[in-house]
This record gives sequence, structure tokens and C-alpha cells, in this order.
Amino acid sequence: MVRFKSRYLLCEVCVEDRSSLLLLEERAIFHAVKTAVARSHGDYGAALLILSFAVKYVNAHTGIILIRCRKSHYRILWSALPFISCLENRGQKVQCLISCLHVGGTIRTCQKFLVKYSTQQLHRMLPHCKNEAERDEVRRAVLSCSLEKERDVEEEEEVEEDDWEDE
Amino acid sequence: MVCKMAMFMDLNVNFTKDKKTLQNIIETAAHLGYSTVAINYTLESQQKKPEIPKPTSISDLFTKLPVVQGRSRPIRVLSRLTVVATDPSHFRPNAEYKAFDLVAVFPKTEKLFHAACMTFEVDIICVTVTEKQPFHFKRAPVNGAIDRGVFFEIVYTPAIRDSTMRRYTIGNSLGLMETCKGKGVILSSGAEKPLELRGPYDIANLGLVFGLSEGDAKAAVSTNCRSVVLNGETRTTAFGIIRTMKKPPPAPTASEEDKSEERENSAAKRAKMEH
Repeated sequence: MVRFKSRYLLCEVCVEDRSSLLLLEERAIFHAVKTAVARSHGDYGAALLILSFAVKYVNAHTGIILIRCRKSHYRILWSALPFISCLENRGQKVQCLISCLHVGGTIRTCQKFLVKYSTQQLHRMLPHCKNEAERDEVRRAVLSCSLEKERDVEEEEEVEEDDWEDE
Repeated sequence: MVCKMAMFMDLNVNFTKDKKTLQNIIETAAHLGYSTVAINYTLESQQKKPEIPKPTSISDLFTKLPVVQGRSRPIRVLSRLTVVATDPSHFRPNAEYKAFDLVAVFPKTEKLFHAACMTFEVDIICVTVTEKQPFHFKRAPVNGAIDRGVFFEIVYTPAIRDSTMRRYTIGNSLGLMETCKGKGVILSSGAEKPLELRGPYDIANLGLVFGLSEGDAKAAVSTNCRSVVLNGETRTTAFGIIRTMKKPPPAPTASEEDKSEERENSAAKRAKMEH
């Protein structure tokens, strides 16, 4: 039993220039989300964020962020996310888009999803490699981040997806 | 987990002369998980001599199309023509329109809106989002459009750019939802820059703000778009059953073959549905 139920939004920040992702900071995201909610839902929206709104995780290299809010109002927060078009940090404005990858009830499920998603990203990068050394490196990375169990799950899912496409 | 739902589509990506931007937009769309995008060419009829643009071929843009997120297929790129009509004479269906996969009309007056809903050979009717809707949506034409399988389009990019536009977008779409009850609506981007796109799930959620219910909002980015594309395909056929096409060149590339096969399949499906 938990007393307060939360929703965790696992989001990805996309920018034009990957190097500007390194500017990503918890405070900047917190501030941007807060203003966006206040702008699109007014004082009511801003008031809802006082309770339990937090940025739990930021990965500046991949642009992955994890936001927590109360389960009852997460849609209000989510509907404001598309209206964020730039993040500001230390006086530098960076144009960006935030797309939600997964909505979970616990950090654990989000993490599981993230492992799978990251593996998928590496798979997507593989054909873009220019030479054999790069390719080997990506291959090794793919193998190192997918646990044995995870791989089984993924294979099952791929089969399911193929079935669905055949219909 | 990613793709248990139907395929997502974004049926409005504005055409720009700059190839690099267009490529970037399509790549971003593939990354976000859209499996089909349509490049939009606008035909402004206010000018003296409107010139119908020719759709650029996809092979000009990409040698290899980017793969859709969470799938193994490359993204599908369609072409679409939007006719901005202030006068009934502006919309003249002719052979040039047939070069496009989809045809949309943007009626500016009530009379034209009525005509567009009831008679025009189009797939999509655009709804004003950058200013106050100049007329009320009447039930008869809206229901007529839904029965004919013509869809209303709400574009969300102006809402992202500017707060005033956001008010008009939300207001006008709520006005539309009062009449159509959330049926027959699609949501699309109308993006000119890659960072103006948003993820499909975000847009499905944004649909709640626009007055759609949860199921309708999801349909607005997936299944409704699919119907629009199928409708567009049948426009070039006779009742969706017979289709005439030129004999393909001796050695068609793999992608072209796929495409024609897909078309035939969907035409067959459509024919089945009608019986």
C-alpha cells in the first residue's frame, strides 16, 4: 500500500545540435515545465504542481528526463509539455522539443522501459556507422546494455509485432 | 511497448524549398514514431494565376528513407495539396490534383464550407486556427462530411508558436467538437521546422485540451489518418475497385514495388468494406 500514488513521465529532449544537450540541468527543466503549466492552465495548474512535482532524473548525454507528479493530475502536466519550445540555462536559450516516451507508476517500470528503449536506439544507430571500428563499438554497447532476460522479452515482443502487422 | 497501437501519421508537413530542412523534419518524424508523413503544398488562390505545384519525388530527398522508431520499416512519405478557397471557382478538380496522394481544402466562407463538406472531392477539410472562426459549424454539413468520410483537420503548430493562436486553436476546435462530437477529426502538425513536431502520444494527450475524448484523441492521430490515406487512394480509382495505371518501367526499384503492392491491397480492402 502506498499513500500517495504518482505518475512518472519519461521524456526525451530533442535538440538540433546534440552538443547543446550538455547544458541540460534539473533546475532548467523544473522551471520550464512550471512556467509552461502556469501559462496553459493558469493558477489552477500552477497550484497542482506545488504537490509532489519533481524532476527525478536527468541524463544530459542522451537527453532523457524523468518527471514525477500526482497521479490525479498528470494529464494537466502532460498537456502542457508540448508547449515547451525552448529551455533556458545560464542565459542560453536552446530550442528543443520534449516528447513523452513512457508513463509509468513507478521509477522501476520507467527504468525497465528505458533500458529497452536505449537498446533500440543503439540498434537504430548501427546502420549509420561509417567504418568497421565504429560498428564494433556500437555492437559491443548493444550487447552490454541488454541483459539476457531483457533480450528474451524483446524477442517475444518482436514476434507479436510481426503478427500484428500481418493482419 | 512502443507500438502496440495503430500506426501514427502526421498528414501535414509544410513543403519548403530547402531540402535540408525537409529531410530533417522527416527524420525527426521517424524518430518520434510517425510511420507516415505527408508533405503539404499550399495553393493560394488569391493570386491572379494560381500555379499548381508539382510534388517532388521522394527519391530526390532521400536515397534511403529513415526507419521508423520501434519498427523495421522505413517511413512512408506522401504528398498533399491544400487549396485555399475564398470563391467556389478556386476549387477545380483536374488532372493536376491527381498527382497528389491527398487533397485538402481550406474553405474561408460558410457557403464554401457547406460545399466542401457535401460535394467537393476532397479528403480533408482544414479548420481555421490562426483567427476566430468566421462562421458557426452547422450540424448538417458536418454530419454530411462525416458520412462521406471527409475529415476535419486541426493543426497544432500555431498553438505551439504563440499564445494568442493557442486561444483561437482551442476555441475553434471546441466549437467544432460541439457539432461533430469528436468524430471525424484528425490532428496534424503543419510544421515548418523539425523542432515544431511533437510526439504522437503527446498529441493524443493534447487532444483532451481540444475537447476530444481519450479514445477519439488517439484515433485522431492514428486510425482516422489511416482512413484519410485510404480515402485518398480510392480517389484515383473507380469506386475503389478498379485502378488503371501505367505499365511500370522494366526494372522497378524495390521500394516502388512495395508501394504499388500496398496500394492494391488497400484498394481491395476498401472494396470489401463497401460491399
